[in-house]
Amino acid sequence: MDRNLKARLEARLNGYLRVPIYQRQDQTEIRVDPGNVPDVLRIVHDAVDLRFEILADLAGVDTGEVMQVVYHLWSPMSSDWLRIIADGISREDPRAPSATFLWQGAEWLEREAYDMFGIIFEGNRDLRRIFMPPDYTSFPLRKDFLLPDDAARSPGAGVRHVERTHLPADLADNLDAAVRRAPAS
Amino acid sequence: MPTRKSAPDPSSEGGRTPCGEPHPGEPSPAEPQQFGSAHDVSSASFASTDDPRIMLDREVGGLFDPIPPYPPQTERESEFYTLGDGEMFLNLGPHHPATHGVLRLVLKLSGEQIVDVDPVLGYLHRGVEKICENSDYYHVIDQVDPLEYISSLFQEWAAVLSFEKLMDVDVPPRAEYIRVLSGELLRIASHTLFQGFLALDLGGLAPILYSFIERDEIVEMLAALTGARMLFNYFRIGGVNGDLNHEFMSRLGDWMSRAASQTEANAALLNENEIFVRRTRGVGVLDRATALRFGVTGGNLRASGVPFDVRRAHPYSVYPDLEFNVPTREEGDSLARYLIRVDEVRESIRIIDQCLHNMPDGPIMAKLPRLLRPRPGRAWGAVEGPRGMLGVYAISDGSDQPFRFRIHDPSFVNLATVPTLLPGNLLADTMAIIASLDPVMGGIDK
Repeated sequence: MDRNLKARLEARLNGYLRVPIYQRQDQTEIRVDPGNVPDVLRIVHDAVDLRFEILADLAGVDTGEVMQVVYHLWSPMSSDWLRIIADGISREDPRAPSATFLWQGAEWLEREAYDMFGIIFEGNRDLRRIFMPPDYTSFPLRKDFLLPDDAARSPGAGVRHVERTHLPADLADNLDAAVRRAPAS
Repeated sequence: MPTRKSAPDPSSEGGRTPCGEPHPGEPSPAEPQQFGSAHDVSSASFASTDDPRIMLDREVGGLFDPIPPYPPQTERESEFYTLGDGEMFLNLGPHHPATHGVLRLVLKLSGEQIVDVDPVLGYLHRGVEKICENSDYYHVIDQVDPLEYISSLFQEWAAVLSFEKLMDVDVPPRAEYIRVLSGELLRIASHTLFQGFLALDLGGLAPILYSFIERDEIVEMLAALTGARMLFNYFRIGGVNGDLNHEFMSRLGDWMSRAASQTEANAALLNENEIFVRRTRGVGVLDRATALRFGVTGGNLRASGVPFDVRRAHPYSVYPDLEFNVPTREEGDSLARYLIRVDEVRESIRIIDQCLHNMPDGPIMAKLPRLLRPRPGRAWGAVEGPRGMLGVYAISDGSDQPFRFRIHDPSFVNLATVPTLLPGNLLADTMAIIASLDPVMGGIDK
């Protein structure tokens, strides 16, 4: 845990932090508004006493209530990973600014977050699906995207509420008939 | 106007089964073949085109046409799919033998020179992050194995590292040493294979054969330790699955006695090969600033002069106790990326040697409950794999399944540099540059 980093971040990012800086083990975590992400990334990348120059990861997160974009950064000046959480992105119309102005490699990572969560990154010039086919319409890693079956929980059928109730009514009634294959002649 | 055929009747089809196959022992009917004649436009078999079981290539032509059958969705896409004067598209893959997996590249060419590239991913996508969110913590480990199938221990390592941070587990030192030992062995296997495949993509057949001798020995050794050759499922939250055994140690001893000299011999096969050096030196140069801008990690970054190695930059496990160097090079070309791997094999042999000398006694597993329910929290764990930093961001909501399981794969970001590296090079160098980045499509597509 890098106490010194906390003081430096507080001095540089005064006014941007939504909640106090949280530190645990080897990670330092700050939460910012999505609109402030470009400013915050620019500061932690450029400031001479921060120099977070390696973008370790960019991930989307769906908490069930809001969306988040989570950045992990590495700096030679600190022994901690820095985690920046752009919190409070609306689930109905998820939009966040792109990080491609600083890290060009964020382009594909944002494409992945768009593909999986539907987060629109404003400023990314190539925001299209990357894994799923272009005519696919769902966003698979959202929490309301339910798997029809769950191998880890399957022994108790009905324990897992997602299995039946969310299927269309006519399919749920005839689920066995629908999945059973025609017997080989 | 072709009409759709009704259900085939064997009596009216000249003794055919519904599948269209002649009955065995019966003479083939004289009428034209119903199946397999799609290319023969002159034949009269077009009556069956509306049969949903038949796909003629004119119907599926969109699949193999480089230009997508929908209007461009982004600025970059419309720019890419507009041809300039004298330019053409070339579709490479997805089943090209040299693409190291199922990767499709749409190349825009001017003559033999590459103007632009659009990689198309997703052919191996199986949604492993979603699967992991619906598996409990123990099951995640074998779900992540097939991602980087060449070196699957590292992906397991990243997963268990983040889980151990989530649960504040102290791993016994013997387990950490066994992890480092098996991991470094697998790093050597992966780098050796890289050398062979790079040479293969440049047309040299011999190095891959020598690579597989080394890799097979290491993989057999690890099979004695873990029980599997490729998808090990060996690391556990809080330790490893099995202790060192006699067969592993005797095989390792045999191999270590010749490992250093064999590495030099394999490297000399390519280092002094004029064709190899001429086709890789100065090709696909990734300069320091571009590499940092793309978030490239691993040997590809160190070949561009940035000494970033997670084992030293953000130490984990017992790496702080071990002596090894982080080799770097300044050139950033394909040759430098190759030479970095050779240097890293030498360093890994040093690490294995130290592990064997310092191996402590004691338990190989921490005491943990059968059902893991970490308290709500977030953890990021990253390890240095053969291709770069493998990271896992795990979120717990207090249940027995991770709420979010994010996998950061180094091949993915390394491959993202291809549209920058390839333009200006010749078509023949495409594979040399991609092979020198050492991507594994299983990890990229997740």
